[in-house]
Amino acid sequence: MTREEIIAEINAELAEEFEIDETAITPDAPIYQTLELDSLSLVDLIGIVQTKYGVLISKAELPTIKTFAQLYDYIEQHQK
Amino acid sequence: MHDVLIIGSGLGGLECGVLLARQGLRTLVLEGSHQLGGCMQSFRRGGLHYDTGLHYVGGLAPGQAMHKAFEQLGLLTLPWQQMDEDFDHVIIAGRHFAFHQGYEAFAEGLAKDFPHQREALQSYVHRLQNITDADMDVCAYDYLHQVFSDELLLNVVSAAAMKTELRRESLPLFNFAHTCSSYIESSWRLRGDGNLLVNKLVSIIREAGGEVRTNSKVLRLTETDGRITKATCADGTSYEAGYFISDIHPAVLCQLLEDCPSVRKAFRRRMMAAENTCGMFTVQLSIKPGALRYFAHNVFVYDKPNVWTMAEKNDPVKGVMISARAPEDGTDTLLQIDLLTPMLWDECKAWEDTKVGCRGNGYKELCKKKVEQCITLAEQYIPGLHNMVEQCYTSTPLTYRDYLGSPKGSAFGMRKDCRTPMLSFHSVGTPLPNLLLTGQNLILPGIEGVTMTAFETCRKITQDYAR
Repeated sequence: MTREEIIAEINAELAEEFEIDETAITPDAPIYQTLELDSLSLVDLIGIVQTKYGVLISKAELPTIKTFAQLYDYIEQHQK
Repeated sequence: MHDVLIIGSGLGGLECGVLLARQGLRTLVLEGSHQLGGCMQSFRRGGLHYDTGLHYVGGLAPGQAMHKAFEQLGLLTLPWQQMDEDFDHVIIAGRHFAFHQGYEAFAEGLAKDFPHQREALQSYVHRLQNITDADMDVCAYDYLHQVFSDELLLNVVSAAAMKTELRRESLPLFNFAHTCSSYIESSWRLRGDGNLLVNKLVSIIREAGGEVRTNSKVLRLTETDGRITKATCADGTSYEAGYFISDIHPAVLCQLLEDCPSVRKAFRRRMMAAENTCGMFTVQLSIKPGALRYFAHNVFVYDKPNVWTMAEKNDPVKGVMISARAPEDGTDTLLQIDLLTPMLWDECKAWEDTKVGCRGNGYKELCKKKVEQCITLAEQYIPGLHNMVEQCYTSTPLTYRDYLGSPKGSAFGMRKDCRTPMLSFHSVGTPLPNLLLTGQNLILPGIEGVTMTAFETCRKITQDYAR
């Protein structure tokens, strides 16, 4: 999957699952604020990435993903 | 208006009811069916009571895992009977082994059969006593392979863990250890049926001013300003409360939350898509009076050392747990025995659209065949069991589904996976601050797991009230 394909797919998925306007999702936008994540819904985000791409975001690496661009990078680097 | 409304009267729901009602909170427990107790309930046939899920409890002696919790819950006064010193017997491929109460006795007892694994056994019991949350990430099967070089011993120490779903690739050591550990501390049976425990909890709730209602199936929860405010039952009755606790399967709860804007699709989908553990096939036998003497231990019989793989395929039955019911009259006349073996949903899926008592001849034939296989395996410990049986009742995952509302008849709730602990272990919290979860689906199944979780659920509410 190319980066562009990942971006298009994950943006649509996150907008649908977290019930937000997709236009709010931009590469530099902060994930936590944009998706209104708390400790519980953060697990939902991890679940979506795992189910969709088979990519498990580890506890240790979670703090390094702060923006959508960093999420795209993570998926791109770890997808099988 | 109640302070707390609890949906579901399984062990977790009733325990929360006791803990909160005793704190003076106006507590209401709503049970959807006509019978209280969930997996703890018992049913009556031919003058005898048969249990659904209660077989034995571990760690009730002073200072042990469950003593303090049961004391706080008022359950220590029930007629608990300590089981034999050799509380679990294991028969694998015709060889007989025994588990002894007490960690040292457990290790020493097995070291007599496996002297070359003495150090490994000591290391194992040490680890059982030092389990932490970090063991949610550790694969139980891999750990056992690291500690035991003898494959038969690995099977023997795992044999009594039929109280959870043994899956080589996913079962966390955290769950495996909690399933085994407290029973090694000490093992107890109730002299009587599970309703004793259920009735005790219900009576404490009522004495403390709480209410418990049956035939009150909650169909909808209403959200107002980011909090659940009301539960509406099938008969149209609505109940308002400050806090709500769900003791039903989280996937079933999500169906009640469809109109709640704070519960986004992502949460709903995660709960709905979570995998569930396997179900159980249970054979409940009444025994001809005088045919058999009571034995205060369980027996786990396997035809081969394949404890970790036997449930991957259903047919034929390859392992069975034998649990004798403690005689209530104090004699040693055994009147009831339960035989249990794992059963996959696929094996009874063909009848998923049927109801209890109307499943047809094909289902009856399946049950008959499995009964025969279970009794034949059990005869390795009780020769001639076939001829001692007076009555026989069976339950399958379909029975669990229909009586307990467990999706696909799962016996141990949502599956835990050491590869994805963040996703498979669940918090007691929900997207709504005054809706909390409890029960076997969150962290651990079994009496110990459900009780630990009930305390955690109530702690959250108590902390909120303290603020």
